[in-house]
Amino acid sequence: MAFDAIFQPIQIGNLTIRNRVVSTAHAEVHATDGGMTTDRYVKYYEEKAKGGCGLCICGGSSVVSIDSPQGWWSSVNLSTDRIIPHFQNLADAVHKHGGKIMIQITHMGRRSRWDGFDWPTLVSPSGIREPVHRSTCKTIEEEEIWRIIGDFAQAARRAKEGGLDGVELSAVHQHLVDQFWSPRVNKRTDQWGGSFENRMRFGMEVLKAVRAEVGDDFVVGMRICGDEFHPDGLSHDDMKQIAAYYDATGKVDFFGVVGSGCDTHDTLANVIPNMAYPPEPFLHLAAGIKEVVKAPVIHAQNIKDPNQAERILEGGYVDLVGMTRAHIADPHLIAKIKMDQVDQIKQCVGANYCIDRQYQGLDVLCIQNAATSREYMGLPHIIEQTEGKKRKVVVVGGGPGGMEAARVAAERGHDVTLFEASDQLGGQITTAAKAPQRDQIAGITRWFQLELDRLKVDQRLGSRADEATILDLRPDIVVLATGGRPYLEQHEEWGYSDNAEESLVVSTWDILNGKVEPGKNVLIYDALCEFSGMSAADYLADKGAKVEIVTDDIKPGAAVGGTTFPTYYRSLYQKEVIMTSDMMLHKVYREGDSLVAVLENEYTGTQEERVVDQVVVENGVRPDEALYYALKDRSRNKGQVDLEALYAIKPQPCLSEEGDEPLLFRLGDCTAPRNTHAAIYDALRLCKDF
Amino acid sequence: MLDTLLPILIAASLALAVIGAWRRVRLWRQGRSAPVDLLKGLAAMPRRYLVDLHHVVARDKVMSNTHVATAGGFVAAAVLMVLVHGLGLAQGVLGWALLAASATMFAGSCFVARRRRNPPARLSKGPWMRLPKSLMAFSLSIFAITLPAVGLLPEDFGSWILALALCTVLVWGLGEMVFGMTWGGPMKHAFAGALHLAFHRRAERFSTKGGEGNRSTGLKALNLDDRDAPLGVETPSDFTWNQLLGFDACVQCGRCEAVCPAFAAGQPLNPKKLIQDMVVGMAGGSDAHYAGSPYPGKPVGEHEGSADGPIVAREGKALVDADTLWSCTTCRACVEECPMMIEHVDAIVDMRRFLTLEHGNTPNKGAEVLDNLIATDNPGGFDPGARMHWAADLELPLMRDLQQAEVLLWLGDGAYDMRNQRTLRSLVKVLRAADVDFAVLGDEERDSGDVARRLGDEATFQSLAKRNIATLSKYRFKRIVTCDPHSFHVLGNEYGELGGDYEVRHHSTFIAELYDAGRLHFKPWKGGSVTYHDPCYLGRYNGEFEAPRNVLRALGIEVAEMERSGFRSRCCGGGGGAPITDIPGKQRIPDMRMGDVRETGAELVAVGCPQCTAMLEGVVDASAEVRDIAELVADALIAAPASTGERSQTQEAQAAEVL
Repeated sequence: MAFDAIFQPIQIGNLTIRNRVVSTAHAEVHATDGGMTTDRYVKYYEEKAKGGCGLCICGGSSVVSIDSPQGWWSSVNLSTDRIIPHFQNLADAVHKHGGKIMIQITHMGRRSRWDGFDWPTLVSPSGIREPVHRSTCKTIEEEEIWRIIGDFAQAARRAKEGGLDGVELSAVHQHLVDQFWSPRVNKRTDQWGGSFENRMRFGMEVLKAVRAEVGDDFVVGMRICGDEFHPDGLSHDDMKQIAAYYDATGKVDFFGVVGSGCDTHDTLANVIPNMAYPPEPFLHLAAGIKEVVKAPVIHAQNIKDPNQAERILEGGYVDLVGMTRAHIADPHLIAKIKMDQVDQIKQCVGANYCIDRQYQGLDVLCIQNAATSREYMGLPHIIEQTEGKKRKVVVVGGGPGGMEAARVAAERGHDVTLFEASDQLGGQITTAAKAPQRDQIAGITRWFQLELDRLKVDQRLGSRADEATILDLRPDIVVLATGGRPYLEQHEEWGYSDNAEESLVVSTWDILNGKVEPGKNVLIYDALCEFSGMSAADYLADKGAKVEIVTDDIKPGAAVGGTTFPTYYRSLYQKEVIMTSDMMLHKVYREGDSLVAVLENEYTGTQEERVVDQVVVENGVRPDEALYYALKDRSRNKGQVDLEALYAIKPQPCLSEEGDEPLLFRLGDCTAPRNTHAAIYDALRLCKDF
Repeated sequence: MLDTLLPILIAASLALAVIGAWRRVRLWRQGRSAPVDLLKGLAAMPRRYLVDLHHVVARDKVMSNTHVATAGGFVAAAVLMVLVHGLGLAQGVLGWALLAASATMFAGSCFVARRRRNPPARLSKGPWMRLPKSLMAFSLSIFAITLPAVGLLPEDFGSWILALALCTVLVWGLGEMVFGMTWGGPMKHAFAGALHLAFHRRAERFSTKGGEGNRSTGLKALNLDDRDAPLGVETPSDFTWNQLLGFDACVQCGRCEAVCPAFAAGQPLNPKKLIQDMVVGMAGGSDAHYAGSPYPGKPVGEHEGSADGPIVAREGKALVDADTLWSCTTCRACVEECPMMIEHVDAIVDMRRFLTLEHGNTPNKGAEVLDNLIATDNPGGFDPGARMHWAADLELPLMRDLQQAEVLLWLGDGAYDMRNQRTLRSLVKVLRAADVDFAVLGDEERDSGDVARRLGDEATFQSLAKRNIATLSKYRFKRIVTCDPHSFHVLGNEYGELGGDYEVRHHSTFIAELYDAGRLHFKPWKGGSVTYHDPCYLGRYNGEFEAPRNVLRALGIEVAEMERSGFRSRCCGGGGGAPITDIPGKQRIPDMRMGDVRETGAELVAVGCPQCTAMLEGVVDASAEVRDIAELVADALIAAPASTGERSQTQEAQAAEVL
């Protein structure tokens, strides 16, 4: 029996969980209705339960008190009885499919923002400022402590009355409970600070109050960290002592263990390890906790593959594995294991698009799965075959948008031909995967490749489609996803030329694709501050170049999300890459064998020169529109997309109209440069009704 | 001169026949005793021949008519010949009747001759090729010598030379038909066949005036407490005498060979040859004279044996090689087709019992599977406590808690198999939709013992069976329902002998009943074309051909039947432990079956057996999806129409996901 460790049920408290896979607590940013779980929220979790997930712990950082604001991340608000009926919908939706659902409850203390909503004064054991959110706070008073303990108990009651299966007390991510635990933040000298017992007191009183309120027949767990990774913070040994201390009460039904604290940008990146990390980098910390507790231990963090999960469980390191991003990428992960379709699982690649949106207060979305958290809109994870006529669909361009369009059209049962000019699928993903520590992003292409093969899509690689080739196929629908090319000709002074011999600047694509030999002394001018410039800098430095990355924005990498720029910074600083901000590239000229880059300070107009042997410019993508305008007049719909239908996830009206000429759509960067998710989303919502 | 010669010839041939018969009987009597009511059997024989045997023969209309004419003509002619020419009672109608009988026989023998002109590969050649000529010789010569007797020709017609020539031809005819019948010629089938029908080891197979016979497909238990009884069959004489008699009845028509999946796959098994080898062994000698298709890959003439010599040698060669016995899928296609009602599968399992119980020589994964069964009560060696893991979220009612339920849902070892778990979950969904009062044994269930028994491990089978029976006896239920035809067969047909009598239903039967009772409602079928594969243990073993088709019809599916379907369904290759013993051939049986599926153009093949599902899904590049009937039903479920709306709500609340 394959995967029998995964499919071994487990008892948590009085609850039987059908398998060992958990979607652990994360902020969904979906509880937009004043912290009430919305239809979107319910459908998001229902999909996971339908897909076979054993246990969902929803509502990362769901608040128990009104001075722990929920609005910043649209988290669930358990400070009011108003939540109870919402929970009932949520519980029913998950239970209907045999899943179990709990919620994480917390008071975030200082780890929030005060400059909005009720303009709260944040509280913390010793009033020490929190750097990640730039938040100041007051020193909490005894009365407030007892009020919040009571709030925890009431919140747990609301979860129970709402029919949820349990609560997870957050004592991780530097929330109020572990703010009391950590001597780094707790400098008190009263009974709530100082000695071990005193620092433990707040969490212990919370646990006692919660348990007293909900009784024994309701699961209460704790999420803790395995090591704060700060010299003045809680070490792994400290955490073992703490875990054992709480476990000894018998009041904790499970422990969730997260390696690393997260009150600095650098440690935060550990908590949701991106593709730069190895698999399960902090499993040893969870296993260390498991050594000292009797309650089952859950551990997430970079567990994405069923075989990996099986190996971890079989090894007995922990009792349950969190596969949270794995479920965001594919909520049908468990079902696909059961269907013997492991190769069809859309595996998380660690792009961290989900969590990086969340830290900006945006709803959690998946870079490669546009249906995730859009279930409520009717976007399907499983594409149904059309009951209408079978069409001939031609897709041009094998980047993410084109691959998704071809996949969805093929799942609909149409006859699909996909043209790709290069000799492999992937488009810009292929380029992105060339950078150090970024190779895993190619997993997006790998999945599409497997799916397109499975769906028997006619893939014409190394074949640049022109108007005639396309029309010769007598298509009913043509989808253009031809992307674009680096936009280097915007400023004449940069000295770009189509003739490589003459051009003074090269693109990041040329560098990453190996089309241009890396220079020895390189200046990268990055107008975007996204992944491509950072990746090119890392790549060049990795090849031994001296690199300076310059931007006119506030800092190189400024547009890269909060869990990913730290891994770039670690790498770039280590390789002594110079990061320069506020300077724009004014001009490049040749001087002897060298190039001179003239930089101009945005705020003073002062110019500086750099003598280098290579100038790399990242200025975004210019859409490739030639094919579109060649076909536009030959198409029935003149290439137009009905936006109302598109945004409402409805079929394009032109699909039901008769006519001889093909329909023409374009999506992705060949329309305007956006991102991977945008291309895939457009492809899915457009093609799902073909 | 004829008047003198004929009675002598007839008397002599009859006398020789009696001697031959006595010798033949002695060969059979080498076998072990068997409880048979001889007189009752003899009395039942004509009906068994005319009704049951002809039911099988009549599947081939031309051959059936040929046989009626030839055999009927012969029997009548033989009796009349004795009266007319032996006792000289030629007067009146008898002579004319003899003319008519011999003419009929001649007509029949012409058809026999026609078939022998381009005989299909399944027919044995050798002496069988001369049989039509012998039949003609007998019938023509009888006809000719009777013409003067009735006065159509003058008494002294022709010369003594003609009379002598006629007598010579008659001697040939008599030799084949009378002498050959008991001395081992092709006509032996009539003599042994008639007695085999009378003394058949499964009397219950035959119809009586009271009604149809049953399929009688359960294996007979080995008495493990009898210290003198051999554990299975080592030598031909270890078979019971009526089994030996049965082998001797073989007419070498090769219908078994034509339907045997192992033979078609090029595995070293040919049921006809196996039966002939038993005949060779019974009399002693080698198989060199066998004139039919050999075991694939095994030339004829290299094996020999004797009544008391081993059938399978521990090393080297004896009568039969072990891989021949392990190639059988126990699909019963041979038994179903055999016009002589021979029980090939019984014989094969008898011989396997010896190899497993005495030699411990179950090939390939066989020993491991049996060890697993002994250690864990399931063939996969899985943790017995993990049997219900697949249903952790279904909250299935346990018999242990309820003590009684209308239906006991028997899960089978598919409970450990991720593929079959989908079938089980579908079935649970269906039962809940129909508000069936059911419960499961949960961890108290053990493997039914099917595989152990087919692999010859009767001891492990009986141990499992007895413990299952003990468990079942603790609870009250009306019937057992299972999606596993192997469990269905074993529980329904083989536990009885060990004290467990249950009403068992295959899930397709039960679902058909629920549908007929208006307890299930389906949305119309929207998928492509569908064919249905009859599992051997459901169809041939238990005669259930209609219920699955009725369910598919209720779903709105019109079944595109395979050429080999119903009682002629081709095995998937998964029965009898064949995937475990895994004897190589030239191709795989499931590949051939999926080829049958492909011929129908079906996009989906509906099945009703975990084993068939596994085998057919294992086919690479299959043209059709494989789905259990329970899955199709679960997918099609809709709430009852408005009048019973209340129930449909609970239905919705209870229906768990299939995955």
